[in-house]
Amino acid sequence: MQSVVEFDNVGLRYGTGSETLTDLSFKLFPGSFNFLTGASGAGKTSLLKLLYMAHRPSRGDIHMFGQDVVLMRRERLPGFRRRIGVVFQDFRLVRHLSTFDNIALPLRIAGIQERDLKGPVTEMLTWIGLSERADARPATLSGGEQQRVAIARAVIGRPDLLVADEPTGNVDPDMARRLLKLFAALNKLGTTIVVATHDIHLLHEVEDAQMMHLDKGRLSDPTGALRHPPKPLILKA
Amino acid sequence: MAGLFDFALPDHDRRLLPEGRIAGQMPWVLAIMIFLTLLAAAAGIVMARAATSGSEDLSSRATVQILEAEPAVRAGVRGQVTKALTGFPGVVKVTAVSDERVRQLLLPWLGDGLTDGDIPIPALVDVAFASAVTDKQIAEMKARLKNVSADIRIDSHASWMAPFFALMQSLLWLCLGILLLLLFATSATIILAVRAAMNTHKATIEIMHLIGATDFQLARLFQRRVALDTLQGGLVGLVLAIAVILLLAGQFGQIEAGLFSDAAMPWYGWILLALVPILITGLSMIVARRTVLTNLKQML
Repeated sequence: MQSVVEFDNVGLRYGTGSETLTDLSFKLFPGSFNFLTGASGAGKTSLLKLLYMAHRPSRGDIHMFGQDVVLMRRERLPGFRRRIGVVFQDFRLVRHLSTFDNIALPLRIAGIQERDLKGPVTEMLTWIGLSERADARPATLSGGEQQRVAIARAVIGRPDLLVADEPTGNVDPDMARRLLKLFAALNKLGTTIVVATHDIHLLHEVEDAQMMHLDKGRLSDPTGALRHPPKPLILKA
Repeated sequence: MAGLFDFALPDHDRRLLPEGRIAGQMPWVLAIMIFLTLLAAAAGIVMARAATSGSEDLSSRATVQILEAEPAVRAGVRGQVTKALTGFPGVVKVTAVSDERVRQLLLPWLGDGLTDGDIPIPALVDVAFASAVTDKQIAEMKARLKNVSADIRIDSHASWMAPFFALMQSLLWLCLGILLLLLFATSATIILAVRAAMNTHKATIEIMHLIGATDFQLARLFQRRVALDTLQGGLVGLVLAIAVILLLAGQFGQIEAGLFSDAAMPWYGWILLALVPILITGLSMIVARRTVLTNLKQML
């Protein structure tokens, strides 16, 4: 089976400092659900940045959707980025756009006609419980609401790969469970999911989820040996 | 170049950048630049027209001065000169200037009530050629008129007007230089404004890029906004420039001196001036587009 993502001996260095990520080699297969864990500063966000092509690695090869993205011409990158949904840790909502427009942004960038995007966006607003706040600007939303908008924006385009950085960090346990169910539903439709989290209990919420553990920039458990976290205390409490 | 002149962005795309000016007072700065550009262009057009028409008119004329002191003899010589030059190769018209007309011409310098008793006034014969007078033609004229009288001088208008037309040419080049400098300064202003705007909207640009926006999609947003700002400034600059040009044209119109008789804006000049803000808008879009595309490569 062709992998969605393949890292081969990848290293990432910012400027002239030491490597933030070292010797990463792994594959993510279509339809897999992957948790990325690790302590703060372990390199989770850096790895995610490589996955959503915000950076190119300092060394090594990265293949995404069967294409070498390290040497890929700049003009071709947007087409690949549109196949990837990203939930940023700091949400990164466009502050002068409404909730509706923020969620619709990926569809508009992809050239979807207005008449075709109103339905899905409205449906998504209903699903995340923000129908009444469709016209609200991000500054007027709570942290949890902003996070839901960020997630809705990431999944609205039904991406092939969803990358989420601490997506449940600012929501209550019930909403966290609902979001994971959304991710799982997308996963069932074939989307490959990568969720970076501190909370290894989340692993129990998703059937057949894989776990990757980063420790000081090295992937210490690419084979899933750490797949036996303690029983969840928060979500199922 | 695809999408370069795509003004008609859908409303939701326009909103991707916050409404308002791209960088503060840019339309006003552009209004000043375009105003100055229009004045330089107007000066260039007027000078080019005056230099061309004046040069064509004067370079094909010559004046024969009869310096004979005795009025009766002078009048006779004038008639002989007129006769001798009629039919001369290249000459299309020979006009004997009346004594009254000569007195009128001298009036500003020598005053009213001038008589031949006061100072001998030369008789003049105006000679119009089919094309610019050559030195050879002047020499041939002198040779022919030598037999008529020894007290004859021939002035080719082109020779005594040459320094004036050289000055006009220099001023024309100066206008062109100023025009180019102003276009360069306008481009630099737009580059700085676009860079500042990109810095202001960096977060929006980054997120759009990561979601899959192409460089061209982003450039289109900025070039549209720059074009609107330039058009706005251009209209203000155009109105101000037209007002100043009309004011100066009125003042020039009151000057009777022949050298400035052609110093008026021709009809095509007004069309060219009206095109300037549109051309600068086009230039600003190209500059904005290139600036955005170049900066995006450095930013992301």
